[in-house]
Amino acid sequence: MAASLPKKLWQSLGAIKTGVILLILVVILSAAGTVILQRPMTDPDEMQRAYSPQMLRVLDALKLTDVFHAWWFVVLLALVSLSIVSASIQRFPNAWRFYSRPYKSPDETFRNALPHHQLIPIENEEVALGVAGRVLHKAGYRPEHIVRQNSFSLFGERNRISEMAVYIVHASLLLIFLGGIVDALYGWRAFVTLNKGQQSNHVESQTGFSRDLPFAIRCDGAGQENYADGTPKRWWSDLAVVKDGQTVLRKQIVVNDPLVYSGVRFYQATFGKTGKLDKLLLSASPRSGQDAKNLALGLNESASLDADTTVRLAEFIPDYVENDGQVYARSNQLQNPAAHLIVASKKTGQLVNYWLPAIAGHEENAKSPYEFQAKDVQMAYYTGLEVSHEPGQWSVWGGVILMGLGLAVVFYLVHTRIWVVPVRDAQGRLQLWIGATANKNKYAFEERFRDLVKELDSELKAAAVAGADAPAATFAGR
Amino acid sequence: MARAKAEQHPASTGTALVVMVGLGVAFLLFMAFLNVVKSGNIINDSNLLYAALIFYCGAGTLYLGFGITGTPAYIRFASFSTWAGLIANTGAVAHRWYEAGHPPFSSIYEMLLSFVWAVAALTLIAEKKYGVKVIGTVTMPVAIVGVVLMQLLRTEVRPLVPALQSTWLHVHVTLAMLAYAACALSFALAMMFLIQDKTRTETFLVATSAFTAATYIGVLTRFQSWGGLSVVAWDPEQKTEVFVSRGVRLFVVIPDLGWLLLVVLAAVIAPLVLYLVWRKTQSDAHIDLANRAVFLSILLQVAALVFFILRARDGVYPSLDAEGQFPTSLAASPFILAGLVGGIFVSLLYLLLLWRRPELERMLPSADDLDRITYKTVAIAFPLLTLMIAAGAYWANRTWGSYWSWDPKETWAAITWLVYAGYLHMRITRGWRGRRAAYFAILGFAVVMFTFFGVTYLLPGLHAYA
Repeated sequence: MAASLPKKLWQSLGAIKTGVILLILVVILSAAGTVILQRPMTDPDEMQRAYSPQMLRVLDALKLTDVFHAWWFVVLLALVSLSIVSASIQRFPNAWRFYSRPYKSPDETFRNALPHHQLIPIENEEVALGVAGRVLHKAGYRPEHIVRQNSFSLFGERNRISEMAVYIVHASLLLIFLGGIVDALYGWRAFVTLNKGQQSNHVESQTGFSRDLPFAIRCDGAGQENYADGTPKRWWSDLAVVKDGQTVLRKQIVVNDPLVYSGVRFYQATFGKTGKLDKLLLSASPRSGQDAKNLALGLNESASLDADTTVRLAEFIPDYVENDGQVYARSNQLQNPAAHLIVASKKTGQLVNYWLPAIAGHEENAKSPYEFQAKDVQMAYYTGLEVSHEPGQWSVWGGVILMGLGLAVVFYLVHTRIWVVPVRDAQGRLQLWIGATANKNKYAFEERFRDLVKELDSELKAAAVAGADAPAATFAGR
Repeated sequence: MARAKAEQHPASTGTALVVMVGLGVAFLLFMAFLNVVKSGNIINDSNLLYAALIFYCGAGTLYLGFGITGTPAYIRFASFSTWAGLIANTGAVAHRWYEAGHPPFSSIYEMLLSFVWAVAALTLIAEKKYGVKVIGTVTMPVAIVGVVLMQLLRTEVRPLVPALQSTWLHVHVTLAMLAYAACALSFALAMMFLIQDKTRTETFLVATSAFTAATYIGVLTRFQSWGGLSVVAWDPEQKTEVFVSRGVRLFVVIPDLGWLLLVVLAAVIAPLVLYLVWRKTQSDAHIDLANRAVFLSILLQVAALVFFILRARDGVYPSLDAEGQFPTSLAASPFILAGLVGGIFVSLLYLLLLWRRPELERMLPSADDLDRITYKTVAIAFPLLTLMIAAGAYWANRTWGSYWSWDPKETWAAITWLVYAGYLHMRITRGWRGRRAAYFAILGFAVVMFTFFGVTYLLPGLHAYA
């Protein structure tokens, strides 16, 4: 009877041949994705330099310039998943029957077909099974006494879980894929740049994606520490999560240690100078000859120097140039800074323009009751944060752990089974049949089995001698 | 065993090699000691590494001597020498670790240091536990090339850039080195299986010729018009390659070297051509000729290596991209050097096989054993590869905010994993044993090598550190 087409398809999807062909396709296509320049990472100019226009058109049409996001690559991965599912579903029932209903009392056909078995002549069935039970116990088995229609036998096994390990590994792979799919559908990556003190809930990516978070992130400070040779050692940002006007979480993040809030992760990605002033450190000495005062002023901040006088930082130019009596900013680099202070008197209402350094034509420095000196310039830093939301990652990590465990079981736990059955040979003599199998590492097991049989043989001989001397003692011992 | 004893060479030849190697090692150690006394600093990683190099060279010679003569005494001294080298190597690793304050996995120099250590340790394990005695013939030269490469790379401890300051990095790289060493071992074992499995010597001839030809074709991608060979310029003050702009190296052209390499390429392809002729004619004269051609190609390869070393060691050459002359150094072209040395080494192994095949077969474990041990090393390598990828993904997730970004190194690690997964499936469900499995193991190692070296130097990506 011919199977229906869907069933046939399903079966051939689960065949090992299909699986291997699919894997080869994945290998070839992903290798192509590493050799051909890929779209979002490479900028368009470079793509045009690397390939001729016709070539680029063909590559783009086939999506070979963005292999890992192409629809056919997704389809291929889906087919791999389906193939694993199909193979597992087709094979699982058999394996499960084997796992859940262990074969405990072997019949004659099985006994003869088993590669590793041995016959040892015995006198007494009960004594021999007792001895065998002890020997198996010593070898790390917990033998069961099996009773079937007046026949007695022993069955012992270890690491039955090994039979299920392959399914564990395949399930873990599906779990990882599931996480990847969830992230592809619901995850996102974006970027936000914050100056010190700034807060934002809006994140954007280069590809045009943007999103407003239900909470805001604020940067309370950012900085860089260097090694003695000037290479960067550490970048850090002090971040705070602000929700409904309340600061709910604070954390200092560094490159390998992100901040996580309600599934959104903030990573230290870039760091730099904004070209804007954070604080200008000044000392103000009164012309009356009293002690100097130290001040720290941000842009447009003012400070009072005495009951009557206040000073305000009106302008700060990091790199100034004077031309035709005008002051211009040449660049954002801190190279040739100039500061414009306005000294005000409450009583007289007089405003004095104080320039540091004194720029002729602008400065009225001599009229100021205070003399100012610049001590230090602290420039503002911005911090660039990579923001990502990966709801599927827990499935991925779960899959990874499961796979580690599964592989350990697959490779290093061997399912071994031992049966001990008293039988009679053609002449009617009593014998102990002992047989065993292992599902892998058969050579090492063969050796172990031979040792086990040898030990059983000598124990049986010892028991027979003891039994001949005092048969009652053996029974009493049981 | 009795037969092996009967055919054993006279004791005098055996002793002669041991004594010669012993004297050589003692002499080099003495010279090194004089230098050390002069500098007054005995224990540092370069001295320890030098000692390790000497012992590995001694061990390599003795293993090779064993491979050629089959004298059992060599093996004892060879493993003794490997032990001594491993101890010195461990000292170098420990010193480096102490000095740098982090495990030695953060630069290509430190990774080679750890890789050589793993190779030596695995050699001893394979020899003692599995009785694969001649494996040192293959692994010791690998260790020697590794140590020599290290001498050329910049050695001073450099501070870690922020992205590398993570425990996960150390976990990731340790697992990678262990996995790759296990893959290397499975490759060597698969090769030995093929020898033991009566694979025809002509097949190895083809493989040798194809490998060396591929190496020279790879090197000759740098061929310049007028027969020059372009190599990366080197800044001797900074001990670093010269960059034109970020990530773009400056090349200088060594004149005439390209022609020489082209001649050598012809010489290494010749055996392949002669083999094809032999396939048609089946005349033994042609295969004899092919074997002679291998011998000739070794001489030419050595000549090419010597010329390359002489000209690239320290010379000043013009560049095509910039005005003026720029210096270069062997350290600027570690992969060309490794390729040339590798070609000679593979050809020598072929000659060893050609001349001593019956002895080699007697010394190796049985084909069945080799097949099984190959599978076992893959069974060790595969979980390590899995965990390596997982640790790398976890680290990437903490650093870049994504556990998988299809960067070339990641993709190739996944491809490696898939190839070995394929090997395991074919072996377990299809019962692939023997030769097909061995070819698969060899393919797996080729992919590993590409992931390790090829991706770093040929494909761009995030893995800029290693």
